[in-house]
Amino acid sequence: MYQNFAIIILSVTAYLNQYNTSFKPKLICETLTVKPFYSLENKILPDSHILLKDKLGEQVLLLGNEAIARGILEAGIGVVTTYPGTPASEIGDSIAEIAKEAGIYMEYSTNEIVATEVAGGAANCGVRALSAMKHVGLNVAADMVMTLAYTGVRGGYVIVTADDPECYSSQNEQDNRYYALLSNLPCLEPSNAQEAKDMTITAIEISEKLEIPVILRTTTRVSHTRSPVKYGKLAKPHTKGEFIRDVKRLIMVPANSRPKHPMLLKKAEIAKEISETSPYNKIAHEGKNKQIGIISSSAAYNYAEEASELLGLDVDILKLGVTHPLPEKMIGKFLKSHEKIIVVEELEPYLEMQIKAIAKDHAPNVEIHGKMTIAHFPRDGELSIRTVAIGLAKITAKKLPIDFTKIDEEFAKIVKELPSRPPILCAGCPHRASFYLIRKVGGEKALYPTDIGCYALGIAPPLNVGDIMICMGASVGMAQGINRATDKDTIAIVGDSTFFHAAIPGLVNAVYNNSKIVVAVLDNLTTAMTGHQPHPGTGKTGMQTPSERILVEKIAEGCGVKYVKVVDPFKTKETETILKEALKHEGPSVIVFRAPCALLAVREKRRKGLELLTCRITEKCTNCMACIKLLGCPAIVIEEGKAQINEALCVGCGLCVSVCPYKAIEYVRLN
Amino acid sequence: MCISLKECNVVLAGVGGQGILLAAEVLGTAAMKEGLNVRVSEIHGMAQRGGAVVSNVRIGDKVMAPTVLEGQADVLVGFEPLETLRNLRFSSKKTLVIMSDEQIPPTELAAKMKKYPSMEEIMEKIHRFAEKITVVDTRKLAKEAGSALAQNIVLIGVLAASDRIPVKVERFREALQELVPAKYLEMNLKAFNLGLEHGKKQT
Repeated sequence: MYQNFAIIILSVTAYLNQYNTSFKPKLICETLTVKPFYSLENKILPDSHILLKDKLGEQVLLLGNEAIARGILEAGIGVVTTYPGTPASEIGDSIAEIAKEAGIYMEYSTNEIVATEVAGGAANCGVRALSAMKHVGLNVAADMVMTLAYTGVRGGYVIVTADDPECYSSQNEQDNRYYALLSNLPCLEPSNAQEAKDMTITAIEISEKLEIPVILRTTTRVSHTRSPVKYGKLAKPHTKGEFIRDVKRLIMVPANSRPKHPMLLKKAEIAKEISETSPYNKIAHEGKNKQIGIISSSAAYNYAEEASELLGLDVDILKLGVTHPLPEKMIGKFLKSHEKIIVVEELEPYLEMQIKAIAKDHAPNVEIHGKMTIAHFPRDGELSIRTVAIGLAKITAKKLPIDFTKIDEEFAKIVKELPSRPPILCAGCPHRASFYLIRKVGGEKALYPTDIGCYALGIAPPLNVGDIMICMGASVGMAQGINRATDKDTIAIVGDSTFFHAAIPGLVNAVYNNSKIVVAVLDNLTTAMTGHQPHPGTGKTGMQTPSERILVEKIAEGCGVKYVKVVDPFKTKETETILKEALKHEGPSVIVFRAPCALLAVREKRRKGLELLTCRITEKCTNCMACIKLLGCPAIVIEEGKAQINEALCVGCGLCVSVCPYKAIEYVRLN
Repeated sequence: MCISLKECNVVLAGVGGQGILLAAEVLGTAAMKEGLNVRVSEIHGMAQRGGAVVSNVRIGDKVMAPTVLEGQADVLVGFEPLETLRNLRFSSKKTLVIMSDEQIPPTELAAKMKKYPSMEEIMEKIHRFAEKITVVDTRKLAKEAGSALAQNIVLIGVLAASDRIPVKVERFREALQELVPAKYLEMNLKAFNLGLEHGKKQT
């Protein structure tokens, strides 16, 4: 069979005595690995050099995330760490592209807690630092962050958390403003790109003043909305500092931690004063109607402004940019000067709860509406001008100028017959081959805990691989519990970047506790879902410098896994045999399915002018539809009742060639 | 270019990989170069993998929110017929629909052995919401410009020719110059011009 991708040589010396208790680590699979394609030249969209322009006052249309990257440059931040995750990815990606020229150290860390450790270490040497992550990334980093709040930092340190109301690309929609309450760290919330840039600088200043990290919280609609940003002055980044030994400050044994807590609380009091006078906490709209006042923050503030305009509600709007600690006096005064307060915020009633507490002391008689007593605004999902207008109209007894019900009814008739178009594995995606084979061997009876990444798309029919998915790396641990409880074949699915991020302790656990699970590492040599960032297995750093490739199979061996194999999922027969062997193996086994992400492989081929292939269905086709029923490839379509291959989409991976029972599909050279 | 404007809302809808985000960025950048306030919303991540993609561009002094309100789109730019239907709730009788006839069948259709709906059926549904529809053979025009990949910029050309966008044609060209890599610029400018000519014929 013709192989589209580079060859993987499987070890012929893979004999292992599974009962040999005196197992000594040795190389059990010699892997001539496929070369990863991480290269900035494979990027499609325009480059980030626009962020380096040293033109004071110039106006540029930037994504919220790009604006934070510009803020990094204007704040003189010297160390930027991140683990990619939507909607935070473009912060790190923009910096990765220009770090060398800007004189910044940037890294894609193994995971979010390592990112905060590296940045926290540098900030403790007086270097200004920033870590960017998606909201659930802060769960991973929380152990570090909660106590870094005690030791504090000497150089300003900003932790960007990008929340995802509506779960556009996340497993939950937690409201990370609660981390500010939990940790006592200050929290800033921008509502547009300009504020995202400016607040990055302010956050660094506050952090340096109080010597504690500051949280900058965005949401998808702030991170992923472009709006005009006026450039400030670029600052020279400092990447070098000095570590000053101070055991009482930096060694968090109980005797040292105890006094640190009241010190942190004192800093929080000073932060409150900063919040009271911050230009980001202000009456953003002066209304004629003085009875009603709206309090809002972040993306919700934009909806509040436009929804009030839509309803003709000319009321005061207090916009909060520093949402931890809240400016108690300012809010108290606002409550006292209005009869009715409406709190407009996305997700949890974080502001409302605290505003109600403030009201008890400052204005016990004021009416407060939001989502607590009566849910005028939803507590789940993202807000919109529509949801905010509906809530405001109910509270103020105004009439909505748009008949949404009529639009919904008309639209429902159209949507009813519309085929859905969920995200799917791309044509040529190696995961499709892996899932097809895993399902073929494991069958209906086996259970398939899966993980976070493109391969979560394997749950869709006809592949149907994926039974439970919670958080990064959880597949490996959960597989063990599921296997113990059911005694069924259990195959954990995990991606390469996710494996490095959080699956290794789970694998150690499987070896230590002798769990009979198969771990299928779907290694496409990149962090695909978030935009093809490099990871420890790619041999490239965020600074674009080469580094030692860390191979999943070697880690598995090092953990003591005795059945470790590397396969090319497009070599279907060999892969099937190995899957069957692994399922029989007593104890944990690891199979690395290695083939590059199709998007990158094709881009690389185009760039280098290499041979491009496609597949074609020949006259031998009996219309059995096996290709369609088994693979669900977007390049295989039905035209005039017959299966056809769309040449514009097909990248010639050849999976359909190997599944066609009538050998009716062949390769065709395109160039 | 229209004469007076309080607010201009454009919804761009299609399938991941069609270049919707770049098209939206070109429109947004052109508007900013015109000296106007603008918001461009994008959704990344899961939505990109061959899934439905929507971007909103909102232009005007008072615009703050990134998303268009139901029924309030001035223009609905459909990069694909079914995705045009999926976003009809943003349009109303006053909306101009600019639609590519480029069909990308969702995999669900093949799996269920169903046919892609006919153009008559699609047009009938659009007419329930909007009155003015321009259908563009974007593939033909883009190929004429040099690559089928430039269909997104063809549509931006058609959009620039309409009377709904308060941005001069030259601003779009400046935006393309800024956003498109040098080696693809000529082809994209050609695609834009072909779209522009096509659009002018419609009005």
